[in-house]
Amino acid sequence: MTSMGYGAAQSLTAQLEQDLASTIDVAPSVSRRAVLGGLSILGGAALTGVGGAQSGDGGGGGHDHPDHGNFGAVGEYDSDEFDPHEFLTEFNTGDNGDGGDADPNEGVYQENGRTVREFTLTAVDTEIEVLPGVTFPVWTYNGQVPGPTLRVEEGDLVRVNFVNGAEEHAHTIHPHLKNLDPDMDGTPTNGPGVLNPGESFTYEWQAEPMGTHLYHCHTMPLKAHVHRGLYGALIVDPKPERVRENPRDYVNYHGPMTDELVSELVDRARSRNMISHPDYAPEGFTGVNEMVMVMNGFDTNFDGDNEVYAVNTRGFCYGVGSTDGRGNWAAGETKRPIQVDKNELQRVHLVNMIEFDAINSFHTHSQFFDYYDAGTTLLPTRSNIDTVMQCQAQRGVFEMDYSDHDPGLYMFHAHQSEFAELGWMSFFEVV
Amino acid sequence: MSDEPESDGGVVTHEESPTGPFGLPTVVAGVVPIVMLAVLVGVFLVTTPLAGLQSDGEPLPDVSIDYTTVPEEGTLVVHVTNNGAAPVTIDQLQIDDAYWNYEMSSPGDDRTLQPRESGTIRVPYHWSPGFDHHVTVMTAGGATFGETIVATQQTPGFDFDVVLTLAVVGLFVGVIPVALGMLWFPFLESMSDRWLHAVLAFSAGILAFLAVDAGFEAFELGRAVPSAYMGELLVVLGIVGAMLLLQAAMDWQSGGGEPSGLSLAYAAALGIGLHNLAEGLAIGSAFALGRASLGAFLIVGFMIHNVTEGPVVVAPLARSERPALWHFGAIGLLAGAPAILGGWIGNLFFSPLLGALFLAIGVGALLQVVFDIGGMIRKRGELLSTTNSLGFLVGLVVMYATDFFITL
Ligand SMILES: [Cu+2]
Repeated sequence: MTSMGYGAAQSLTAQLEQDLASTIDVAPSVSRRAVLGGLSILGGAALTGVGGAQSGDGGGGGHDHPDHGNFGAVGEYDSDEFDPHEFLTEFNTGDNGDGGDADPNEGVYQENGRTVREFTLTAVDTEIEVLPGVTFPVWTYNGQVPGPTLRVEEGDLVRVNFVNGAEEHAHTIHPHLKNLDPDMDGTPTNGPGVLNPGESFTYEWQAEPMGTHLYHCHTMPLKAHVHRGLYGALIVDPKPERVRENPRDYVNYHGPMTDELVSELVDRARSRNMISHPDYAPEGFTGVNEMVMVMNGFDTNFDGDNEVYAVNTRGFCYGVGSTDGRGNWAAGETKRPIQVDKNELQRVHLVNMIEFDAINSFHTHSQFFDYYDAGTTLLPTRSNIDTVMQCQAQRGVFEMDYSDHDPGLYMFHAHQSEFAELGWMSFFEVV
Repeated sequence: MSDEPESDGGVVTHEESPTGPFGLPTVVAGVVPIVMLAVLVGVFLVTTPLAGLQSDGEPLPDVSIDYTTVPEEGTLVVHVTNNGAAPVTIDQLQIDDAYWNYEMSSPGDDRTLQPRESGTIRVPYHWSPGFDHHVTVMTAGGATFGETIVATQQTPGFDFDVVLTLAVVGLFVGVIPVALGMLWFPFLESMSDRWLHAVLAFSAGILAFLAVDAGFEAFELGRAVPSAYMGELLVVLGIVGAMLLLQAAMDWQSGGGEPSGLSLAYAAALGIGLHNLAEGLAIGSAFALGRASLGAFLIVGFMIHNVTEGPVVVAPLARSERPALWHFGAIGLLAGAPAILGGWIGNLFFSPLLGALFLAIGVGALLQVVFDIGGMIRKRGELLSTTNSLGFLVGLVVMYATDFFITL
């Protein structure tokens, strides 16, 4: 076997560096005249000793500390069609239908010895304000982006009446569930295929496995249908009885399954299921604040790159209304931090639906969390982390404890700096 | 037919010629098409026959960033114009891919611009000297319009120091080189016809090169002009218009005959002066836009480049009666001093529109002088002689070569 000597490797490296350097053209494309104009001025200034007013504090108006300005979007949101603060904690379990316009809940009932949770989702085209004053034409389920969060119990039959009320485009609903009937997959090739405007179809899905999942339109071109807003979270809560019977299905753990551990897993399952069953609250899990956050973005000028990044659609909506950049801030009417009670456990269902970017991420300041990948386990898949990365359709649950933190603002954001500064930057206000 | 004394069925007859059709006065005949056009336009506007074609009626927003200035540490100023047919609101602004707070002033005192209105956006931003900063404005519909501030430098205010600096720079770039070049005049006078024609051809080569060079520059600037003004067409109009105007002026001055050496010298000086004015504009605006970097040696390149303009303006005088000395002063100032004036104008209110227009006028004047010099040589000798062709070529090559000094 021949191998490359150190000398040869060194010269090859040097050559590659040289090639790289020469391919990076750093010369700005400035008008020649502009450059020579500028140059000749300095030439003149140098020759004559006058001018040269380049010093930093010339003409600064006597500011000791020039105002560096503030990042973020100006103004507040005008439209109240979609409220990310409401969306955060709005879970549709099917059974509290009040017949309201956009209410997807149709009812919960028994059928063939099985619980059925029925929902109605209607595709509609609308506009949504993605930054104060900036609207984006979206395709939605029920007029909101993300679509309604559906929350069901493991083993339920999820019945979704889908109506395509859009004006032009065919749509479907594809669930990220373990689905045994291909006709219910919501793809152009299966079952009813794509549904044209005016058509409707009732999907029936099994609620399996437990976890934080998602649903979205699977009509081609996928990029357009997903980016335009046809997606939502779908949470399957564990059934404590099932956990007790088959504990191994719910853990990423291969050691001995003691009674103590099973009991702990059941308690965790009850805690996960408190939204559907408030009476499940086990000892030590009484105060849990559950939130759903869908990471998304909007390519407002349709150049294949997002101009606005957000969690739950509106850029900076969980930010502060105003700040002087020196620790003094005020909540705005529509842009305000998420208030959390330090004595409650914070549980977040995080779903990444970003389009046009390979990955997204979630990072908490001054805080570490336990993460449950896809929410399909009752023991954390990663413990004690402050940043998690997700590609599109990846999702998970994480839990945070702020009980020993001082009250105040704690930032969280995508740890892609670009995404953060283009809207995906938020705060918890611990009280 | 015009001989027919009678009309049949309304045909205009000889006797009726002072009046128009239907016995109306000719004045009415002149006005009728205009009235009918007005009616036609009115009907068109009222009935909107094209409404069926405008399916989605909404015109696309079109905002241009005219220019940016950097008045002080921690501030960027963006000048925007609404080129579209509908009002547009600047709802958000990004600097380097980050949303940023800003204040906007506009005629309506809000963030909305009516068609063709301009506004000024002030951004408190801690810019970095020498770095590029990209500014993007976003309209209500999410459309974006951006501009890069290259190698950001603070824009000096227009104070006495700047006025003086620009005057001195203009002096060194424009007036002194031209004056130096004019000192060749006695030498030119002593030349044989053959060599003088070669020198004239050489001048024409220089002027032609400048015209082409400035022409490219004008079209480039023209593309940066807010689209409502159709910058490139404006440049064409400027070039042709300046040529025709100068032609007319010289014909009027010479009474239709061959232009005198003196008038040709003035015309050449005017062309070069306009060219130097445009150069001064660029200098002043580069200063205003904060695009200044070090390199005092380049002014030397500029001087060498412009010194060739001296013999050009005096060569036409070599065979005529030597004019009074003050003419030489006037010609030199006309050719060189606009560099100073351009510097001031460019620094005070630069716009791509103004720059493109001045450059275009300069190109027109330069082309006109090239043709006139050609005409002068043809009147007195053979235009396309070997020496003349070579002289023209050398003029081009010299300009190309000295250009290297200032493109480094
Ligand atoms: Cu779709």
